[in-house]
Amino acid sequence: MAARLLYCAAAVSALAVLAILAFLVYFSLPLFQGDQLAALFSWHWRPLQNEFGILPMIAASLALAVSSMLVAYPLALGVCCFAHGLGPDWAARPLLVAVRLMSSVPTVVYGLVAAFSLVPLIRGASSGSGLCWLAALLTLAVLALPTIVLLLDNQFQRLESEIRLTAAALGLTRVQEMLQLTLPLSSRGLVMAAILGFGRALGDTLVPLMLAGNAPQPPLSLLDPMRTLTAHIALVVATDSQSAAYNSLFACGLILFLLTVLVNLGLRRIRTGATAHG
Amino acid sequence: MSVAFAWLSALLVPALLAMVTGFLLRRGLPSLQVALWFGDTPPLAALLHGAPVFDGIWPACLGTLYLVALVALMAVPLGVASGIFLAEYAGGRTKLAFSFCIELLAGIPSILMGLFGFALILFLRRSFAPEANTCLLLSAFCLTLLVLPYLISSTRLAIESLPDALRLTGASLGLSHWQLIRRILLPASAPGIFSGVILAIGRAAEDTAVILMTGVVANAGTPGSLTAKYEALPFHIYYLAAEYQSPAELAQAFATALVLLALTGLLLLAARRLQAGLEIK
Amino acid sequence: MKAAIRVEKLSVSFAGKHVIRHLSLEIASGGPTFLVGRSGSGKTTLLRALNRLNECLPGCATSGQVELRLGEQWVDAYAATTNVENLRRRVGMVFQSPNVLPLSILRNIEMPLKVALSLPADEAEARAEQALREVHLWDEVKDRLSQAASTLSGGQQQRLCLARTLALRPQILLLDEPTASLDFKAAQRIEDLLLELKSRYTLLVVSHSLGQARRIAESLFVLHDGERIEALSKDVFQDRDALFSVMDELI
Repeated sequence: MAARLLYCAAAVSALAVLAILAFLVYFSLPLFQGDQLAALFSWHWRPLQNEFGILPMIAASLALAVSSMLVAYPLALGVCCFAHGLGPDWAARPLLVAVRLMSSVPTVVYGLVAAFSLVPLIRGASSGSGLCWLAALLTLAVLALPTIVLLLDNQFQRLESEIRLTAAALGLTRVQEMLQLTLPLSSRGLVMAAILGFGRALGDTLVPLMLAGNAPQPPLSLLDPMRTLTAHIALVVATDSQSAAYNSLFACGLILFLLTVLVNLGLRRIRTGATAHG
Repeated sequence: MSVAFAWLSALLVPALLAMVTGFLLRRGLPSLQVALWFGDTPPLAALLHGAPVFDGIWPACLGTLYLVALVALMAVPLGVASGIFLAEYAGGRTKLAFSFCIELLAGIPSILMGLFGFALILFLRRSFAPEANTCLLLSAFCLTLLVLPYLISSTRLAIESLPDALRLTGASLGLSHWQLIRRILLPASAPGIFSGVILAIGRAAEDTAVILMTGVVANAGTPGSLTAKYEALPFHIYYLAAEYQSPAELAQAFATALVLLALTGLLLLAARRLQAGLEIK
Repeated sequence: MKAAIRVEKLSVSFAGKHVIRHLSLEIASGGPTFLVGRSGSGKTTLLRALNRLNECLPGCATSGQVELRLGEQWVDAYAATTNVENLRRRVGMVFQSPNVLPLSILRNIEMPLKVALSLPADEAEARAEQALREVHLWDEVKDRLSQAASTLSGGQQQRLCLARTLALRPQILLLDEPTASLDFKAAQRIEDLLLELKSRYTLLVVSHSLGQARRIAESLFVLHDGERIEALSKDVFQDRDALFSVMDELI
């Protein structure tokens, strides 16, 4: 009896995913039926002129996610290596505590701080308003850093428990152990952390909304404002516009959902690859 | 060379943390007074007699509190039950299928949860309930979906990490499966489950994207009913940051950020404490 | 008797709890010298104190002196000027359960040579082959050197670990219950191997097995509760009944 109840509970969660997908598809259907689909895939978003191209937003989302990962990932790797041998032993624990504290800061707070410290800085050093790709990129990197560090830390800890004493007994320094053993042997975990971080960056709303300027144009320069899919959804909903804009909203949602699924499948690929060889 | 880079990155972390906290404290601490919460309304009047508060964050605090309470009410039983199911009852294909769905759910960006809630209202308006509108209940529902994967994963992990010896002991005492779970496994994994619950609550308290789409507003007073609009701390911060009219309002944003930070910080601490308790065992 | 290891008033504690207290002993070169005692008497900790491996475990505090004769010179293991990695290469260790690295058979041996000793690839390969021959494993693995070390049997893995240590050209070998996880046949091969190696290395073996001690030990120490150590002469422990009665008293 208990088993049945529990089964139902789990089923709800599974159904939730399907429901979300179903709604997104249902509300995007009008687009597929008309000839509006082609119109969606244009580089111009001008609702007043009936142009609902969302390509700039797709490009912006991808560009922001990739660029923030390029900043966050190496730093996270550095931090984690430091905590696992490249730095002094006493420093590892306080560092990880600091990282956990960083991860507890809400996104909106990071956005707030960046809006009034980073953005004026960029504004002063350039000709724009400061609300741009760069501001969002750096803040997103700071946001993603702790998550990636904790993921990598988990990975390293598991491996270390196996090989620490062996490596020490062979006369390897901790640096040698990290660079020659731990890193190469963790390659799958390293890739997974990168993919997870990318997914996280792709799905964030507040940072691009508050810091990227929200101009629906293709991202050509770091100092230009951009609008991501996530910010676009939040903005269009807030402004009470007509149905056509609404439908494009769900198309955005659908694309975001598909990207999420791709990221997820990529992760599974890597993970099952790992268990096959490991 | 890589050692030097590691040092640089490591130094960056406390530096960033100090900068963010320092900045917040500098800009927000001065405004951290009673007036922050209640504005011009006397606190007791607001608390006891429900006098409306116009310029303070008390309604937002209440809104966040109600939201979190609702989410806890909905998500915890559902999430813990699903976690138990996956850890103890599901086998083979079922387990794989459910795990896949839950992982997918975990990866869905919060804005899509909000969009889902929004779509739900549109759908209801067109069909059963033309009066339907975004509200507290809807937000709580969508937030539940948001935190559900975390709850399920942490419950499942807590139970699965228990040593096999525990299960064998229970079985050898003649306990049925459910008795084993209820009497031995759940108490043993309680710290891990609780810490997962606390983290989920923290996540629900700080989220902005979902509530943005499902009913939060800048001015609604204290939450009247489940189907009313409401205020919340994270949205208050966002709103002030985007639309502040005076330096005082901006300062209020920073002070509110400090309040929210204190809240999530406390929750994180509680979660870690519970987890440490688990590890000692 | 030529001494190879000198321990004086050694105390080791972990998080305040003493495992070894004021222990002093002298171990002759060659051997094998066996160290036996009850579970928890501190045998492994004593062994690990000699190559400073205890320091890798949290909360460790060591006092006292450990001197090892390496290459005709006495080295103070805990001196500030002693390079610990260097020490660990010259004082090799074999663990109780085979701890092959998650790499191929060949890389298990070559990697420490290339990384810790900075040997060029061809020299590393030559040494690897030599070490594998020394433990009589070469013929069994020469056609599968690039396969994962985990595909070897338990006994083969343990010999691989021994080869890996020998490739670093240590002078002293510390073996922590080297045959504890092996079956009878595999254990026998290791024992024969140890008898071969004793002429070239100083061997210190921690063991649970009195039978093994009787079979191959040259000298025997009995450790009590981390505090007392008793040396038994060969005629005592080679005689089965004498050994057991002494053990009964001591432990």
